[in-house]
Amino acid sequence: ENISDFSLNVTDCTQVVVPEEVFFTVAAAGILENLLVLIAVIRNKNLHLPMYFFICSLAVSDMLGSLYKTLENIFIILCKMGYLTRRGDFEKKLDDAMDSMFILSLLGSIFSLLAIAADRYITIFYALRYHNIMTLRRALVILAIIWTFCAGSSIAIALFSYEAATVIPFTILFPLMMFFILCLYVHMFLLARSHAKKIASLPTSTVHQRTNMKGAITLTIFLGVFLCCWAPFVLHILLARFCPHNPYCACYMSIFHVNGTLIMCNAIIDPMIFAFRSRELRSTFKKMFCCAR
Amino acid sequence: MSALRLISNRTSQQALSNSDYTWEYEYYEYGPVSFEGLKAHKYSIVIGFWVGLAVFVIFMFFVLTLLTKTGAPHQDNAEPSEKRFRMNSFVADFGRPLESERVFSRQIAEESRSLFHFCINEVEHLDKAKQSQKGPSLESHIHFQEVPGSSGMFEEDLNCLTKFNIPNFVNTEQNSSLGEDDLLISEPPIILESKSVMQSSHRILD
Repeated sequence: ENISDFSLNVTDCTQVVVPEEVFFTVAAAGILENLLVLIAVIRNKNLHLPMYFFICSLAVSDMLGSLYKTLENIFIILCKMGYLTRRGDFEKKLDDAMDSMFILSLLGSIFSLLAIAADRYITIFYALRYHNIMTLRRALVILAIIWTFCAGSSIAIALFSYEAATVIPFTILFPLMMFFILCLYVHMFLLARSHAKKIASLPTSTVHQRTNMKGAITLTIFLGVFLCCWAPFVLHILLARFCPHNPYCACYMSIFHVNGTLIMCNAIIDPMIFAFRSRELRSTFKKMFCCAR
Repeated sequence: MSALRLISNRTSQQALSNSDYTWEYEYYEYGPVSFEGLKAHKYSIVIGFWVGLAVFVIFMFFVLTLLTKTGAPHQDNAEPSEKRFRMNSFVADFGRPLESERVFSRQIAEESRSLFHFCINEVEHLDKAKQSQKGPSLESHIHFQEVPGSSGMFEEDLNCLTKFNIPNFVNTEQNSSLGEDDLLISEPPIILESKSVMQSSHRILD
C-alpha cells in the first residue's frame, strides 16, 4: 500500500484502554443485577403488574447491552489469541449479529423508558381509569410490539449500517425520545406542583412551601443518567460514519472503550433508580436472599 | 513508514485491545490520521462534548427547579377545605393507632398525593362526613383501598412522585398528617368504584 507522507506525532491519540478486569466486573455486575430484578418480578405474584413488566423490559435491554459488550470483549480476546481470523466471513457475520444486539439494547432501553414514563403519566392523569386503560394484557401486547419493532430495526440497521442513511434516523431517534420523555415528566411535575399549591392553600396547612428540589433531582437523575451513558456512544457512531479521518474525530473515537463501559454502568444504575425504588421489590429481594441462606 | 508502524501496532502490542479491535469496524482502517497542524487541542471534541452534556443536564435541573418554585398559593374555596379539615381531625384519631399499617400506608399515602387530590377535586361535592365516620377498621382498609390502580404499581410509580417531594405530601416525618388525612377523606368514594382495587389492596395487606 502506498501511503502518502503522513507522519504520526508521538502525541497522537492512542486508544484509551479500560483494563479487562474492570470491564468484565462491570459487565458481570450489570447482568447479575438485572437478572435479579427479572427473577424477583417473576417470582412474586404481587409484582405481576404493568409497571413492573415495563421495568423488566428495561432490565432485559440493559442485560443485552452488557452481554453485547462482554461478548465483544471475549471476541477480541479470541482474536488476539488467534482462534479467530480477522476477516473471515463467519467473523463478519458474528460481528453483525453483535452490532444488532447492541442496537436492540439501545432501542429497547429507549422504548422501555418511554413505556415507563407513559405508564406513570396515565397513572396520574387518568387515575381512576388506569385499571381499565392499562390492563396486564395490553401491557404485554405493548411490550411485544416494542420488542418486535426493536428487533426488526436492529437487524435492518445492522445489515445496512454501512450506509449513512441508517445512522441518521438512529441518531435522531435518540434525542427525540429523550425530549418526549422529558415532556411527559414535566407535565406530571407541573400537576404535582399545582396539587402542592392546593394543599398549601388549605387554611390549616402548617407546612410551608419549599422548593421541590427532590423532584427536580429525581427527574434530572432519570434523564441525566440515560443521556450521559448512551450519548457518548451515539456520538461515536456518528463521528465514525461522517468524519473518520478528521484528527479531532479520531481523538474522540479513541475513548471508545470508556464509552462502552459507560453503557454497562447504565445497566448497573438503571435498576437502582427504577426497580429498587419499589418497596415490594426490595422485600422480595430480601426474601430471596434470606431463603438462599 | 507510518503505515508500517500502524501495522506493527496491530500485531505486536498485545496489551492494547484497541489495535485488534480495529478490524471489526472498517472505518477504523482508513489509515493513519495526521495530527499535525491542529489549531485546537486534540481532545477538543471530547472535552466539548462532555462540557456541553454537563451544561445541558445542569440547565435541565435548573429549569425543573424553577418549575417547582410555587408562587403565592391562590385562594381556593374556603368551604370545602374547612369541611375537609373537620374530617381530618375526625379521621386522624382513627388513623393514628394503626402504627404498623401506618408505616406501610404512609408510604403509599405519601406517594399517592397527587392522585388523590385529583380525587378530592372530583368528590368534593360528595358527602364525605358520613363516610369518614365509619369505624376504625374501615379506616384501615381505606388506607389501602383507595388506589385506583394496583397498589404495587402505585408504590413504584409513586416512588417517583415521592421524589418529586411535593412539599406537603412526601414528608417522611410523622407530622405531615394533613395530607394523609386528606387522603383518607377522598378514599371512600373511590372504594365504591371498583372492586378490583380492593382485591389488589388486600394483596398488599398480606
